[in-house]
Amino acid sequence: MSGPRTRGAVRAGQYLALLAYLAFLALPFLWLISTAFKPAPELGSLHPTWIPEDPTVANFRQAFAEQPLLRAAANSLAAALAAAVTAVVVATPMAYVTARRRGRLSAATTGWVVVSQAFPFVLVIIPLFLVLKNLQLINTLTGLVLVYVVWSLPFALWMLTGYVRALPAELEEAAAVDGAGRLRTLLSVTAPLLAPGIVATALFAFITAWNEFFFALVLLKTPEKQTLPVVLTHFLGAEGVADLGPLAAAAFLATLPSLVVFALIQRRITGGMLSGAVKS
Amino acid sequence: MRARPAVVLAVVLALLVAGCAGGGGGGGEGGTVLRFQSLAWQKESVDANKELVAEWNAAHPGIRVEYVQGSWDSVHDQLLTSFEGGEAPDIIHDASDDLADFAYGGYLADLRPLLSGRLRADIPEASWRTTTFGEGVYGVPFLQEPRVIIANRKILESSGVRVPTPARPWTWPEFRQVAKELTATMGEGRYGVAWPLREPVSVSLNLGLSAGGRLFHRGGDGRVEVRFGDGDATVPATVNAQVNTDRSAPRTTLGMGGSDTLPGFFGGMYAMVPLGFSYRQQIVRQAPEGFEWVVLPAPAGDGGLAQGVSPQTLSIAEDSPHKEEAARFIDFLLQPDNMVRLARGDWMLPTGTEALKDPSLRTTEHGWATGAALAASLRPAPAQSVRGYPEWKDKVATPAYQEYYSGAIDAAELEKRLVEDGNLVLARYQR
Amino acid sequence: MTLLTTARRSGENAGGPAHRPAHRHRPTDHGAWFLVLPALIPILLLSVGPLLYGVVLAFTDAQSGRTRATQWVGTLNFRDLLHDTLFWESFRIGLVWAVGVTVPQFLLALGLALLLDQGLRLRWLARALAIIPWAMPEVVVGIMWRLVYHPDAGILNETLRDLGLGGGRDWLSGLATALPAVVLVGVWAGMPQTTVALLAGLQNTPRELHEAAALDGAGAWRRFRTVTWPALRPVALAITALNFIWNINAFALVYVLTGGGPGGRTRLPMLFAYEEAFRYGQFGYAAAMGCVLVAVISVLLAVHLASRLRGDE
Repeated sequence: MSGPRTRGAVRAGQYLALLAYLAFLALPFLWLISTAFKPAPELGSLHPTWIPEDPTVANFRQAFAEQPLLRAAANSLAAALAAAVTAVVVATPMAYVTARRRGRLSAATTGWVVVSQAFPFVLVIIPLFLVLKNLQLINTLTGLVLVYVVWSLPFALWMLTGYVRALPAELEEAAAVDGAGRLRTLLSVTAPLLAPGIVATALFAFITAWNEFFFALVLLKTPEKQTLPVVLTHFLGAEGVADLGPLAAAAFLATLPSLVVFALIQRRITGGMLSGAVKS
Repeated sequence: MRARPAVVLAVVLALLVAGCAGGGGGGGEGGTVLRFQSLAWQKESVDANKELVAEWNAAHPGIRVEYVQGSWDSVHDQLLTSFEGGEAPDIIHDASDDLADFAYGGYLADLRPLLSGRLRADIPEASWRTTTFGEGVYGVPFLQEPRVIIANRKILESSGVRVPTPARPWTWPEFRQVAKELTATMGEGRYGVAWPLREPVSVSLNLGLSAGGRLFHRGGDGRVEVRFGDGDATVPATVNAQVNTDRSAPRTTLGMGGSDTLPGFFGGMYAMVPLGFSYRQQIVRQAPEGFEWVVLPAPAGDGGLAQGVSPQTLSIAEDSPHKEEAARFIDFLLQPDNMVRLARGDWMLPTGTEALKDPSLRTTEHGWATGAALAASLRPAPAQSVRGYPEWKDKVATPAYQEYYSGAIDAAELEKRLVEDGNLVLARYQR
Repeated sequence: MTLLTTARRSGENAGGPAHRPAHRHRPTDHGAWFLVLPALIPILLLSVGPLLYGVVLAFTDAQSGRTRATQWVGTLNFRDLLHDTLFWESFRIGLVWAVGVTVPQFLLALGLALLLDQGLRLRWLARALAIIPWAMPEVVVGIMWRLVYHPDAGILNETLRDLGLGGGRDWLSGLATALPAVVLVGVWAGMPQTTVALLAGLQNTPRELHEAAALDGAGAWRRFRTVTWPALRPVALAITALNFIWNINAFALVYVLTGGGPGGRTRLPMLFAYEEAFRYGQFGYAAAMGCVLVAVISVLLAVHLASRLRGDE
């Protein structure tokens, strides 16, 4: 029923729609890049332009000279990676149980997810601070990672539970009937099918941790340990005054790793491993 | 089989993180270590602070000061959490209007027994009042800025209006007239004055002092009450008239912060912008080539040039085991010469009388002289020591002023909200 | 509490380590306790514990500072809250904001995910670009959009002027435009997260079902309804529910954009509770607000969840 012409029209429409989406999502970012390369007088211009008239890297130089961006980036990277991997490793088994075993555990998990996410975090932070202090984890990245893991767990659980539910349980049962061991079934049948979901979840946890500000602000004291979002606010002054050029330059750099991580692993999320697995 | 690399990776990362965390702690050298959390953020000011810390450390090997970078944006939350958890820095940089709760809450040390006679005498009594809460003094006020009017020199001079000086400032009615005249000469879509009123309450109250406004009245029993007199009405009425009657001020800038108005100011859309004295730094950095500007005193009223300020402060945590040493460091930081360096770094005025005499703060370049001439008229910002003021400000006064300035409500409604709703809030803190 | 008892019961059932030869019945009957434990311990310690502490605070007059002892006040905080019209106004704004962000966010993200799931050229680039908003710290997002919305130097008004649509609108400080302007930023900032979740969900759609349906001559809409949507539904429900919770609790974005102004028009409940706790130091009263928020959100989500649980049977 779909002739080549209508197909072409549909395709064109799809590309057009995609373009509109990308414009909406990317233009503010382009504006950030443009700001990062503008000299100070141009930032105060009444008629801003997309392309800097007099592009400069002075903002980048100033950003690096004024704030320890590299060290902060290393801290952020360590914390975010550790948090993402730990969260997934810890959450996947629980999500599996929750999804496969209906009943109170599932209900309790759901309930906790709602309560923990709905409760204002500003109220949790002081008791949390005291708990971590008792564990001697204030001012350590380990403490911060723990908080990030717990903070991303509800979401990780929800997502992973959804992904597990979407897998037909018959596959595992078939493998069990074939005589495969339980762990082997999990690792050789379930895990590969779950991989896109796991990677997506890890990505969530990574980016959440990478961007997180409030906990890092409160938990880390010494400058050597501070993470990027905290260091970024050092470009802000009182009354919302900001050192825009260097801030934009630093923010642009801080955004890159998340983009790179995503560009690298997005094939895995969407690699179509599933269809192959279902067939075999 | 895919799971295995992930597990290995996780273990490696966990070890890595543990290693990082372990490596940071435990510098077991002898002597005292003081943590100094500074909020300096402009390059010159960060540099000045760091240099001073280095000089101190070189001269005092037994008392090492560690520079910790804080940020104005989040200082209150960060300090509150640190205090509650018992992990606050020893020396705390903040502003006097942020100190009340910390002082009343018992987190800050009373500095009276700790400060040197020199420092106490150097800083005027009016400044000390900004950090006096109840009986105690909980911070050393060291930098302050008056609100000034920064004007486009060409527009101002070509219009032929009288240019005010600290000795002969404009009155408020005169200011309104000048704004009207400037607007008339400038043409469509341009305005004589732009009011950046993202924080309308502090501007209204601080400038209100010049017209004799007080708003907060302390009774004989120590209870504070809001009353709205003629003096309180002068400044708000002027702004309201400029925006809604004369059209000499745009409505669009009412929600802006100070730096948001600069593009329009540079572009000739606004002839004058009332701004904090330190905004000169941004103007110097961002102004297009050939742009000329002047610093004018804010208008005067029955109260002369008086206006309220909330100086930047240095405080000591009550929990600090080394209060004596911390006080010595503050004393060092605020030696007249050093105070001048800090003031120049932040483009502000020092509170110390010795430092204020420094010729570099009295030059006419960048309007330093105008600001310095205003120093004597600066008073503690009204109400900053009133308990419940932050809540009154956020919940009652900010929305009320915003709606009044934009013309959504009239003066009677403004008064009703500030006074009736306001006193209800204050009453809760004074049971 | 239910969490604990459930966990213990499943622990009793577990019997032994996980890698035991499977029996006939459901493969998950074994090792549940073992599988749940790693997540449970940090949750109890760092989430449930502090949360319960927060709930307890709601029944006290806890304030910042250590000059006054904290006392039990029973339900006084809740009774005060009942008469706090400003809080309920903020609650109303929060609901408008949460619905106004969540719904467009989901619809737009679904569209984008479906597009990205097509075999379009350069889709790897499109997929990477599509997560830009998410890759930026919220503080930066807020500052960026303030630049975009800037009445004088903002690119939005400049573009409108160039297109001859008039200019000089004060998006973030106008009493009427502030909330819609903030909602747009909310949609923008939350879209990638929703898109990625849905995209991963789409990968779980059995492709041959799609192909079979196409061969049967089913149109795009019917294929979507009969094949795609059933597979996507659990993920879609989860992500919208979480988006809703997150949005009603949103904080940093609006804090940077408007600080709750103008005239309290964008003061979300979270901003309100934040000010109460961190500006005025009224921990007890703020905790009571938190409890009310939780209660109302739970009720609102009950419908949503009920449909989800029913779908499981």
